Amino acid sequence: MAYPIIELLLVLVEKICVIVVIAYLITRTKYFREILDKRFTLKNRAIFILIFGAVSIFGTYSGIEIFGAIASVRDLGPMIAGLIGGPVIGLGAGLIGGIHRYFLGGFTCVPCSLATVLAGLFGGIIYILRRGKFIGVSGAVLFAALMETFHMILTLILAHPYSEAVKVVVEVSIPMIFANSLGMFFFAYIISNRIRELETAEERDKYFTELERKRYELKMAHDIQQSFLPDAIPDLPGFELAAQNIPAKEVGGDFYDFIPISEGKIGLTIADVSGKGVPAALFMALSRTIVRAKATRSSGVSEVIRDANSLITADAKSGMFVTLFYAVLDLSERTLTYVSAGHNPPVIFKAKTRTLMRLDAKGIALGAIADIELEERKIILDGGDTVVFYTDGVTEAINKSMDQFGEERLIMTIKENHELSADDMIEKIKGEMLAFCGDEPQFDDITLMVLKAE
Amino acid sequence: MKLEERKEGNVAILTLNGRLDAYSSNELERSISTLIDNGSVRIVVNFGGVDYISSSGLRVMLASLKRLKKAEGDLKLACLKPYVKEVFDIAGFTQLFNIYEQEEEAVNSSRDE
Repeated sequence: MAYPIIELLLVLVEKICVIVVIAYLITRTKYFREILDKRFTLKNRAIFILIFGAVSIFGTYSGIEIFGAIASVRDLGPMIAGLIGGPVIGLGAGLIGGIHRYFLGGFTCVPCSLATVLAGLFGGIIYILRRGKFIGVSGAVLFAALMETFHMILTLILAHPYSEAVKVVVEVSIPMIFANSLGMFFFAYIISNRIRELETAEERDKYFTELERKRYELKMAHDIQQSFLPDAIPDLPGFELAAQNIPAKEVGGDFYDFIPISEGKIGLTIADVSGKGVPAALFMALSRTIVRAKATRSSGVSEVIRDANSLITADAKSGMFVTLFYAVLDLSERTLTYVSAGHNPPVIFKAKTRTLMRLDAKGIALGAIADIELEERKIILDGGDTVVFYTDGVTEAINKSMDQFGEERLIMTIKENHELSADDMIEKIKGEMLAFCGDEPQFDDITLMVLKAE
Repeated sequence: MKLEERKEGNVAILTLNGRLDAYSSNELERSISTLIDNGSVRIVVNFGGVDYISSSGLRVMLASLKRLKKAEGDLKLACLKPYVKEVFDIAGFTQLFNIYEQEEEAVNSSRDE
């Protein structure tokens, strides 16, 4: 005996290594991906048939002749071709390997070539039964072992003389079953890995696309929300007005508005919706629209906001509310008539007395209860008076040690810089906040509006 | 924020410690929701250890109050520090809530109803 079983096995394993390299290279081609995605074309089918037919022929030549029979991994190529590409590719590769083997002759040429053709066909049948899904490593190995056992049975039935056939089978059956199963294991393992890799890549791509879409939507929401804010500062003879809104996230719950009421009268609004982000932004859009609709062409102050509250409350689910300060500026009277729906009181610097006061008024946030009382107040604005309207994002801005910027610092800033223009006052307050907060990120929406009497 | 929960008779008492900001408000909302879902409709929140409440915190308190009123229950507040009291005050929410100096008073008044 030229080859004891162990040596025979070693030779076969050596050949398997070549097949492993081929397997790896095949899974890296675009054709492999096309076939996995079931995008079959004449081209990729032909390529796969040829490649796996060649693998099969390689299996034959790398085999070892024993008593005129060849122990080989010839069946491996067609089996795999069938498992990943279906019956057409499996059968095609099987025919190449089988016909080639047939013309090599020998007394086992009929069962051997037939087994190779059937290996491809059975692989394809498994492919159909699994609806094109790869059978997995253990399933593929079991298939290889069973296929080679069947190959041996075919040899016993079809090869003549029978006694010679038995001799061959005794000699080669264990190495062939083992070698083909091992080859299949490596092949299937590499394929499974590649399939998983492709799936992960696909999920990652999907995730990134989704993220991109969300980012785009938030950007759109940001733009739409910014368009809800006034485009331009209205021209107010004898007064100077400035306003700025800086959301903490892409969208926020703060807003300000200038509402034309009549010749010489304008409504000024600053508001803060509870919470942040998209829920706050949606509620902001609702509140702003309702207030605007109620206030336009209505010179009332408390009744406008009371009416708006009834409508807002009807839509205020899950405890959403909005604090709002609404003031009507009368340009000829030079007065400010205001109500506060639970909003932080604006601060006024009176130039004449050089004193600061809060514009307090009794009230409650909009959306909390249906029927509310709002105290309406009126002040006279003299030359040099400055009113600073703000949201709690200003006073509740924190530094590293969690201290708040606070009303006190805001009041000091206004007092020390009262001679600044409305625009510069906003910049000054922002600058002071920045100096106070340092690197601490902005946590809440910030809105500032400054009205200055000339 | 730390959150402790206990019961005295049919009154559930939540004791809060720390900052009631956007993040911890969600935690508080879940706790109160669980209490309501389990049939507790008389709830007292002790704010003794809270030195900051954001508008998200107010929203949770308002949402909980609305839910409890619907269930014929109530949400009472106790031991508000001056800053927290002022935040409730500015928003006008002192009109909505029964606020007590001592937790005991809040619990007793809840029990009597």
